[in-house]
Amino acid sequence: MKLRHATVCSSNQNRSMEAHWLLEREGFDVASYGTGQHVKLPGPSLREPNVYDFGTPYKQMFDDLRRKDPELYRRNGILPMLKRNLSVKTAPQRWQENAADGTFDVVLTFEEKVFDMVLEDLHNRKHVLLKPVLVINLEVKDNHEEAAIGGRLALQLCQEIEPAGNWEECVDDLIMNFERQNHRKLVYSISYY
Amino acid sequence: MARDQALSLLAAANNHGDLAVKLSSLKQAKDILFSVEPSQAAELFSYLAELQSSPEPLVRKYLLEVIDDAGAKGSEHLVILFPVLLTFLKDNNPIVATQSIITGTKIFSSVLEELALQFQRRGIVQRWLEELWTGLIKFRDAVLGIIFEAGPIGPKLLSIKFLETFILCFTLDSTEFDMCNPEVIARQGSMFNVSWIADSHPILNPHALMSDANRHLEILLEILLSASKLPGCMTITAVNSLVAIARKRPVYYKTVLKALLDFSPSIEMAKGRHTVSIQYSLRTAFLGFLRCTHPIMTESREKLLKELRAMNAGDAADQVIRQMDKIMRNNERASRELQFSKDDQLSSQLHISGELTKKRTAQLDNENQNNIFEASSKKSRHGPHNSKTTTASDAKQDHVNGISAKPPVLDGDLTPVEQMIAMIGALIAEGERGVESLEILISNIHADLLADIVITNMKHLPKNPPPLTRYGNLSLNHPSDTSDPAQVVGSNGFATSTQSLDHLAQLPASSLSTTSGAVSDTFATANLSTDSKRDPRRDPRRLDPRRLVAPTDMSQTYVVEENVGTVQHPTVEPDFNPVSSSSVLLSAPQSVPEFAPQPLPTIETDINLPDSPMTIEVDEPIQKYEVHDFDANVITPDKDANNYLHLSPSSGKEEDVVSPASMDLAMLDEAYSPSSEASDELPPDIPNVEASESASAELPVLPLYIELDEDHQIRARRLALERIINKYQNSQRTDIKQTQIALVARLFAQIDVSDVIEMAQKLIISDYEEQKGHELVLHILYHLHSLVISDSASSAAAVYENFLLGVAKSLLVDLPASNKSFSRLLGEVPNIPDSVLGMLDDMCTKSHSGADGRDGDRVTQGLGAVWSLILSRPFIRQACLDIALKCTVHPKDDIQAKAIRLVSNKLYAVSYISNSIEQFAKNMFLSAVDQHSSDALLSESAISDRRIGGQVEGAETSTSGSQVSEPEISPDETMKGVLDDSSNIFSQAHRHMSLFFALCAKKPVLLQLVFDSYTRSSKAVKQAVHRHITVLMRALGSSYSDLLHIISNPPQGSEDLLTQVLHLLSEGRAPPTDLVVTVKHLYETRLKDATILIPILSAFSRDEVLPIFPRLVQLPLPKFQMALAHILQGSAHTGPALTPVEVLVAIHDISPERDSLPLKKITDTCSACFEQRTVFTQQVLAKALNQMVDRTPLPLLFMRTVIQAIDAFPSLVDFVMDILSKLVNRQVWRMPKQWVGFLKCISQTQPHSFKVLLQLPSPQLESALSKYPNLRGPLAAYTNQSSIKTSVPRTTLVLLGLASETQMQQPHAVSSLHASDGPTST
Repeated sequence: MKLRHATVCSSNQNRSMEAHWLLEREGFDVASYGTGQHVKLPGPSLREPNVYDFGTPYKQMFDDLRRKDPELYRRNGILPMLKRNLSVKTAPQRWQENAADGTFDVVLTFEEKVFDMVLEDLHNRKHVLLKPVLVINLEVKDNHEEAAIGGRLALQLCQEIEPAGNWEECVDDLIMNFERQNHRKLVYSISYY
Repeated sequence: MARDQALSLLAAANNHGDLAVKLSSLKQAKDILFSVEPSQAAELFSYLAELQSSPEPLVRKYLLEVIDDAGAKGSEHLVILFPVLLTFLKDNNPIVATQSIITGTKIFSSVLEELALQFQRRGIVQRWLEELWTGLIKFRDAVLGIIFEAGPIGPKLLSIKFLETFILCFTLDSTEFDMCNPEVIARQGSMFNVSWIADSHPILNPHALMSDANRHLEILLEILLSASKLPGCMTITAVNSLVAIARKRPVYYKTVLKALLDFSPSIEMAKGRHTVSIQYSLRTAFLGFLRCTHPIMTESREKLLKELRAMNAGDAADQVIRQMDKIMRNNERASRELQFSKDDQLSSQLHISGELTKKRTAQLDNENQNNIFEASSKKSRHGPHNSKTTTASDAKQDHVNGISAKPPVLDGDLTPVEQMIAMIGALIAEGERGVESLEILISNIHADLLADIVITNMKHLPKNPPPLTRYGNLSLNHPSDTSDPAQVVGSNGFATSTQSLDHLAQLPASSLSTTSGAVSDTFATANLSTDSKRDPRRDPRRLDPRRLVAPTDMSQTYVVEENVGTVQHPTVEPDFNPVSSSSVLLSAPQSVPEFAPQPLPTIETDINLPDSPMTIEVDEPIQKYEVHDFDANVITPDKDANNYLHLSPSSGKEEDVVSPASMDLAMLDEAYSPSSEASDELPPDIPNVEASESASAELPVLPLYIELDEDHQIRARRLALERIINKYQNSQRTDIKQTQIALVARLFAQIDVSDVIEMAQKLIISDYEEQKGHELVLHILYHLHSLVISDSASSAAAVYENFLLGVAKSLLVDLPASNKSFSRLLGEVPNIPDSVLGMLDDMCTKSHSGADGRDGDRVTQGLGAVWSLILSRPFIRQACLDIALKCTVHPKDDIQAKAIRLVSNKLYAVSYISNSIEQFAKNMFLSAVDQHSSDALLSESAISDRRIGGQVEGAETSTSGSQVSEPEISPDETMKGVLDDSSNIFSQAHRHMSLFFALCAKKPVLLQLVFDSYTRSSKAVKQAVHRHITVLMRALGSSYSDLLHIISNPPQGSEDLLTQVLHLLSEGRAPPTDLVVTVKHLYETRLKDATILIPILSAFSRDEVLPIFPRLVQLPLPKFQMALAHILQGSAHTGPALTPVEVLVAIHDISPERDSLPLKKITDTCSACFEQRTVFTQQVLAKALNQMVDRTPLPLLFMRTVIQAIDAFPSLVDFVMDILSKLVNRQVWRMPKQWVGFLKCISQTQPHSFKVLLQLPSPQLESALSKYPNLRGPLAAYTNQSSIKTSVPRTTLVLLGLASETQMQQPHAVSSLHASDGPTST
């Protein structure tokens, strides 16, 4: 039985998309989301981020930023990232509004705050199907290099979970082995649909 | 046709070899099954059920899906299929087992719902549902078994989830509190909960199910306890489930929270468990609780925060709190809008909860919005007692009325309060079985909610009073004592369901009395009613509302019995109501005896004081009742102070009077009921039930109501208060305390406080540890405060102040300084009068005895209180801030240090006060600078004055000159006084600046002011600045970057300070690059003083140092030495900028003319170098000299250095001789300045220098000998040695008089001129 995966970060741009892209390339069933209120991309300074609503196509952001300051956004890797993203899917999606996308078996988050929000959101949903969902947090810094590493780790993690079949039976060992091998700290929790 | 097709498909699904065929057959069969007629389907379904033994897990799983579908369709064939679920629970394939639980859980919910609704709508329950329910109970038991049995984990997780569902289904829904955000509520809709089940449901027994739910919660908690043996994911799931339960059913919150808190420390690292995740699940849990606005949860906010901080999740917690505050504010706004359209009777649950939130945030509103200090949110809990209650409760009243007007429907439209009432009623109906659950329920109900329940219930008092009996007239004689029998019913039935009361109210009163006898058999106690004499309704005391105290001491069991009839019979059947009402009445006599066991000798005697003939006449038991009645009565007159008045229905004036009274009585009920549990301890003269029953039957008359005069009233009140307070102390149960607290608060307000204050304080302090004393105080204060607000003329303000002051003082005296109660008290009281602030001020600024170690703690405590007040109380923020700031310049070091720590570390970070703190600090700093510069002048003039005008005058001047120094200086000590003065100035300046510098550490930009005012500062002030800045810079460490701006542009005259800053910044480490760049730039552009470069020299490279080297040499010697140290030290990366050799060479390279440097300076510098013999060693000197000797021109000081070198290191003599020889070769005589030195050196180093001397050409030798004639003799003697003489040129010999002119032409002598090295060695 093929598991459905979701990768979640705060803006559905860098970390979750990197993982989404990698997982999809490796043939996993995957979707990606952000938990923030808006999609935020770095701007000319820390105080002037580019803010978009979820659902704004990556292409549109790409065009917007290319118009604003192509040099800057190429240099800081935003344009290449958006280009990558628009090859994966149309627009960033918000986790809290994904009820229509069906259920997931494994949700990977890349930041503690996002992990918390996903759990809180799942808690607030009505548990009708009673389908367990494994939520794992893998802390990844929000920059291109770390996202690339994080993406590979996410892939590895999914490659370990998928063949296990019933993750319920082995999740503790699986997580601990992964931590030991990669010297990364993970946190997981279980919720239901 | 369809049947045959389905059968063949099923057969294929069972027997075909190919799995794919099996599945597709099954799929087709399913479609047919659901489309055929029900009669046919039954048979087919039993065939389908046979598939459960299929060896293929996928087939079995698909079968489950079919069952799932059937469940969703509410098909009655489920009965046939359901046993399959039970079988699959034990399936060896965990996926099938898991799916089976999932399907079962879903069916469980839908069947339950169907069961409840079917009965409600049609009054019957279909047979198949009943069967299914039996199956489901079996299913439940099987699922429970799975949790602790060995087996795969997947099903266990689902079993836990099933438990959660079960518990949620069978507890009352009060989700309106779990409104994390409105989005959620809208999304969730209403879920089944136990209140959907009608009480008379033939199959479902809500009470039994509720106690089951309680038991199942225990199981969940048990999982936590045995977490060390279970896989981590099970523990996490259990924690999550518990959290979900606690959040959706706040009744369980406390239990769950306690379990979680206890659980956290017990986590150990164990194999096979991911501990971090388990711990994180707790974190998530606590964060989740923080998100809830239910009062129970907000109450524990602090505890949660503490726990979260301990988990390093303080940030996340703070964020959640900020979010919540925001949401609350939004809700408040929304509810305010709602209130405007009050006629909108919609009154959804959301509305009510919005109101509640509003009340809770009412005070928050006044707060600065940025302020998220916990205290404020905590304080707001007491908000409802404030004046704002009126409006809030108005809205609520509408709401309640609106609901009660509707026909009773058992659906989700009930308000939480009404649901609770229904719940309590249901539990009571349960009889013995319900007692336990009822206790749990009541003990978990928040006091506010409990009060609401009582009040809501009062709305449903019957409008038509039943006919009064003859005894009733007696009591009616007393005007203030409107004995409305309806009230009897209402109050007694406080725990009955609203619905039944509604009906009760509509019944003609007469039917009550007539029908009551008819159904008497129903109850064991009913036979009483057949006896008209003993008809309790005729019992005069029943008719006296004060008699309502009767239930007071009823144990829970009594309450249960009393109301059995009322609730067991559904409200839809009105003909049962008479029974219920009669039973209510019947129970009265039973409660009477319980009430007697309150012997109060003291009160009795006091009560006898009024000149009432009645008291004397009545027999003893009555007297006791009388006494008791007083307790109740004391409360009733207080209507103005009673906020709840607004809640009472306004159907008539009379009722208005009654309602508050009975409310209070009901409260009394609550307050007293637990004491019956402890009644064993009471004196043995308690009459048992039978005895008192007969006694009550014999009671002929109702004790008269006695009008007390003012004096006695006061006394009575006092006594009542005393009694409650004493009781309070002994009472163990917290829920009762809540009520007692409310009572005490009201009594308190009525009594002239001065005489009881002490008593109360004593009690409060003694109980403060358990925190209940605190709540009592707050209740009292809030009550008093509400009085003040409602009537500004009342004396309550003074009482308030006295009481608060008294309590605060005794807290200080009696509790250790480390106790937080004091600060908490001040943080939560409604208002802080000036006198309390004064006390706080004293506490912080005056340390009373000094030597006592406690004082320091007191200061800490005081400042701690000030701190929390500043954060949580905007109105007195400034006053508190002033106290804190005053302490920062306090002469006592420890006070000052503590205050500064507080202000700079904590308060300064708070945005809304940082400005005023900064301003204060600046002012103090400037006052230090300016006052002392004038002071300094003054004291200087004072000194001269003294010299001129004599001692006495001088003393005066000094006194006036410095107000801060000791004003009394005796004339004899004038000079000493002057000295004191300057040290005083220093210490005072130091003190006044401390805060400012502490702020600088947080905000280095402020240092600009220091730089700016540095020039005009007096010496003492500068000294103080230097001392501070040292500490500051060390504290700043690497965060100096803000200083760069100041450094790059230092004000005139601040060079000393700048230099010190630079030194401190580069102390003990390599100066940072940006600092180096800044300073270099400064040096190049504005400040030509090389001093400022010294600290950063170690970061300079050789090429950078050399150009500025002359400037360094130019500096005063000590500074140069410092610079030298830096240069030689260099940085860790690049090594020293210059080696000692290079330094020496560099010094010699300086040209006085070119670098406009006096020669003296250079020679001094050189000497300074020579003094550092560990650096400028023999080898260094040799190397340097060697380098320099080859230079053209020779460095000016070269010969001087050579001489110094030989002085310093005599063993260098051979080396020096080589140098000198080289100089000879370089024809040193042509360099006049060097030549002088050369000769001096020769002279000093004789006899070693003779060899060199002999190398000189004769004319030069001659001039040398003429300059140093004393050389001639030794040289001649030296040359005359045979070995040397041969190698010396003849001219020289001639010169020395060792040979005649004729011998001059000897050729060999010339050739040996350069070959004479060997023998010269000594």
